[in-house]
Amino acid sequence: MNTLINVGVARLEVGSNPAVLRTILGSCVGICIYDRIKKIGGLAHILLPNWVKDGVKEKYADTAVPLLIAQLLKMGCTREFMSAKIAGGASMFKFQSNMALGQIGQRNVEMSRQALQEKGIPIVAEDVGGNVGRVIDFFLEDGRMKVKAAGEEKLYYKV
Amino acid sequence: MHISIKERLDSIISNLDQLPSIPDVVGKVINMVNDPNVDFKSVAQEISRDQAITTNLLKLCNSAYFSKGKEITSLDRAIVTLGIKEVKDAIMVVATKAVLNRAILGYDLAKGMLWEHDLAVAVLAKNIAMMKKDRANADIAFTGGIIHDVGKTVLAIFVQNVFKDILARVESGGVSFQQAEREIMGYDHQEVGERILAKWKFPEVLKYIVRYHHEPEQAPKEARKIVSYVHVANSICLMAGIGIGSDGLYHELSERAITLLGVTDEELNQLYSDVPEVLKHVQGLS
Repeated sequence: MNTLINVGVARLEVGSNPAVLRTILGSCVGICIYDRIKKIGGLAHILLPNWVKDGVKEKYADTAVPLLIAQLLKMGCTREFMSAKIAGGASMFKFQSNMALGQIGQRNVEMSRQALQEKGIPIVAEDVGGNVGRVIDFFLEDGRMKVKAAGEEKLYYKV
Repeated sequence: MHISIKERLDSIISNLDQLPSIPDVVGKVINMVNDPNVDFKSVAQEISRDQAITTNLLKLCNSAYFSKGKEITSLDRAIVTLGIKEVKDAIMVVATKAVLNRAILGYDLAKGMLWEHDLAVAVLAKNIAMMKKDRANADIAFTGGIIHDVGKTVLAIFVQNVFKDILARVESGGVSFQQAEREIMGYDHQEVGERILAKWKFPEVLKYIVRYHHEPEQAPKEARKIVSYVHVANSICLMAGIGIGSDGLYHELSERAITLLGVTDEELNQLYSDVPEVLKHVQGLS
């Protein structure tokens, strides 16, 4: 039996095989990092791209990524065996183009990519953008990510 | 359009027995509170006729969200300490839970997700009204937030059957989800919700919130501001993934609603950023 761990908004959770990390995303981005040798991984559910003074680090892409990697390293993971998958970053179907909030989804995706790149973690799968809500399950058994969106499921196996 | 679905919905919404029910006391209290000359004693008396509601109400009045510190042990005390509008909001939470805290299949919402969404929209809509110094309407924004999606509870089973058609219409026609609901099933979840509120004998302003929460600019002028509080709160909660379902973000974020409320870009970002704090309040309510 898998152990299901729900990851809330602006939260970060780590676990090991056979745990499953689940989160639900709109414009937020779920950043999944997996060590394929240790079968340990973590999921950060970020709400915004850039950290602001006094903010909780889990809430922002640029601070959540280093925090997540540090936690995984502490659990015995090795950077060379880590890979990442990201999902989410949807936008409202219609909004006035000058509205900053409308761009949040896309900016979350861009900053997540940048933060991972800066730490040298390759992104092996992305399921981002559009106007859908996503429920993602990140299986620490083998690092696969299941994305349920608009009534359909997709699986990403690459680690 | 699926004529058979429209006909079944015609029959459901014209037959009050087939729509969800809530305890009678709620409709009565809401209308009493609407009257500026209401007598507190008679409100307390009305509530006390429903023992189950009274028990749960007192419990909720002592929860972190509503409590003012002092323990509340009677309805009279609750009304005096919290104010009649707060007590009305608390009754709404207690009375609608059975209808809203359930799995909503066609919209892919597991049990508890719609309820969490509704409470979050309620808290946030009230916060926005308070931020805009509209204290007089803050409680209505809260009540409207709780029930804005009630139509989904009835429409869900039909959405489940025609979800692919609705989505295809959204994608090919560039129309928002609720418009596609109307085109495919003859009704959208806002219209069905309005009929449910009519059954519950709720005041007009709440019907407007339910009917126009995705299209606030269509609401009658006198209600447009209140509808807009719920519209903006709903959009923000969906963006943050709170109660996002199969209809996803296939909705419009109305520029006109934002302009009408005078919410700045910065304030909008702050409201979105503060969703985790709203969720902390919600935990105390659910």
